[in-house]
Amino acid sequence: MADHAASAEAPQLVEHFFRHESTHLVAVLTRAFGVRHLDLVEDTVQEALLTAMQVWSRRGVPKNPGGWIYRVARNRLLDALRRRSTHQRLVEAIESPVDSGPALDDEWWYRDQVPDSLLRMLFVCAHPALDRRSQIALTLKVLCGFSLAEIARGLLLTEEATKKRVQRARRRLAKAEVGVDLPPPDALDPRLAVVLEVLYLLFNEGYSTAAGDEPLRDDICEEAARLCHVLCHHPRLGTAEARALLALMLAHSARLDARLDSDGGTVLLADQDRALWDRRLIAHAELWLARSRTDAPSRYHYEAAISLTHCRAASIDATDWPHIVALYDRLLALHDSPLYVLNRAVARGESGDVDTALAELDSIRNRPEMRRYHLVDCAAGRLHELAGDRKAARRCYTSARAQSTAPHEQRLLDNRLTRLHGEC
Amino acid sequence: MAKFMFLHRGECGGSAERSPEEMQTAMQAMQAWMERGQSEGWLLDAGDGLKPEGRVVRGDTVTDGPFAESKELVGGYCMVEAADLPAAAELARSMPLSGDTIEVRELMGHSME
Repeated sequence: MADHAASAEAPQLVEHFFRHESTHLVAVLTRAFGVRHLDLVEDTVQEALLTAMQVWSRRGVPKNPGGWIYRVARNRLLDALRRRSTHQRLVEAIESPVDSGPALDDEWWYRDQVPDSLLRMLFVCAHPALDRRSQIALTLKVLCGFSLAEIARGLLLTEEATKKRVQRARRRLAKAEVGVDLPPPDALDPRLAVVLEVLYLLFNEGYSTAAGDEPLRDDICEEAARLCHVLCHHPRLGTAEARALLALMLAHSARLDARLDSDGGTVLLADQDRALWDRRLIAHAELWLARSRTDAPSRYHYEAAISLTHCRAASIDATDWPHIVALYDRLLALHDSPLYVLNRAVARGESGDVDTALAELDSIRNRPEMRRYHLVDCAAGRLHELAGDRKAARRCYTSARAQSTAPHEQRLLDNRLTRLHGEC
Repeated sequence: MAKFMFLHRGECGGSAERSPEEMQTAMQAMQAWMERGQSEGWLLDAGDGLKPEGRVVRGDTVTDGPFAESKELVGGYCMVEAADLPAAAELARSMPLSGDTIEVRELMGHSME
């Protein structure tokens, strides 16, 4: 093959090349041929990647790997559709002409289509015809390039359940005859709000330590941020809210590496080595938050501001806790969530007002969302520690330990209890 | 030194369930193995993969084939040089292919002089 370079200066693939290229190909080809061929497009792209893997293993990576793989995928898809159309006369129904028109032939055309196609697919995956869990699973499959096994691991589902969920989502989209279009301007805002929420949940899915030390979860965060980044560069879709969400993701991502110790255990904010925080990501987060200025800040604005307040502090003691309390006040004015109350109580306790903080915790203890939620006891334990009441702290941590199910959380609480015991 | 042909049977590292990330990792491991073979001189020919479809000719009859099950199918080959069969088998063992079978066969290599 002429376009393979000599092995001496063989081009190397960038990290995650296959994963990202597969999402680009699926997005561009689905846009060209329609959502009802999503299944076929995904299979064809998978085959093209397998071919690339086998050929490049032996001959090295071609000079233009993206163009190489695009040609293989496009030709196979055209072949498959032609084979179908001779039987079923589907040609008329295909949105783009099946004969390889000049546009599809051009790799530059393909490159040009990538960002716009990814965004359109984002609206397809976050379509209101699907429930939230299906939207997340389908986004992970189509737009993040994860396999069903990886998605199952990331979402703590069985592989079979994941497969069913994704298949059902594809069928429902085909049945609803969903087009690969951006919503019209008058319908954009609610649809964009769903897209942002899916990205937010996707990111949280990766960020939450509930599943312990699965390295894939960092990748989910990275993919969510990548998609949000594409969104923010679009003139119409890169709204203040989208930019704030990106700032939030970047600020959290900056602390990903410091969250785990060498044994995969969780390191709490207070104990994190702040030298491990990624300064470059923090700077980008600051930049995007500055670009997100608006008269009507969203929850993403306040959550990003809270995260960045932590990032700016040189130590846990140097944290501007009153500012964080004020930001939670604003969040609560937007949305009355007991989780915000819980986090505000911790911040309030850190800023010195433990009594009010404990009273606030008691006020949410019986809210249905917080029952059997061990974080209330964790927070109460921390507050008692701050007030110097080790006995009460021990009682709270012991209760939290009894309710916690995740091994890494239990380990964390055991450490806390041991430390308290040592100090007595 | 003798010449050997490695016949890969199976999916050659490529099952339909593999994620793009896993494919990239597998490919890079395989590339590294091939590069080592080239620089150490024992890889005579990186070979090629074989498409699954084909024809089977038996006497006058030509049928669509091959008939082997996919895990038995020869999916690719390469040529190496080694001191003897055990040494060649050792090289085959170092190939980073997961779940596939490699058949190691020595070429007869009779000189016609």
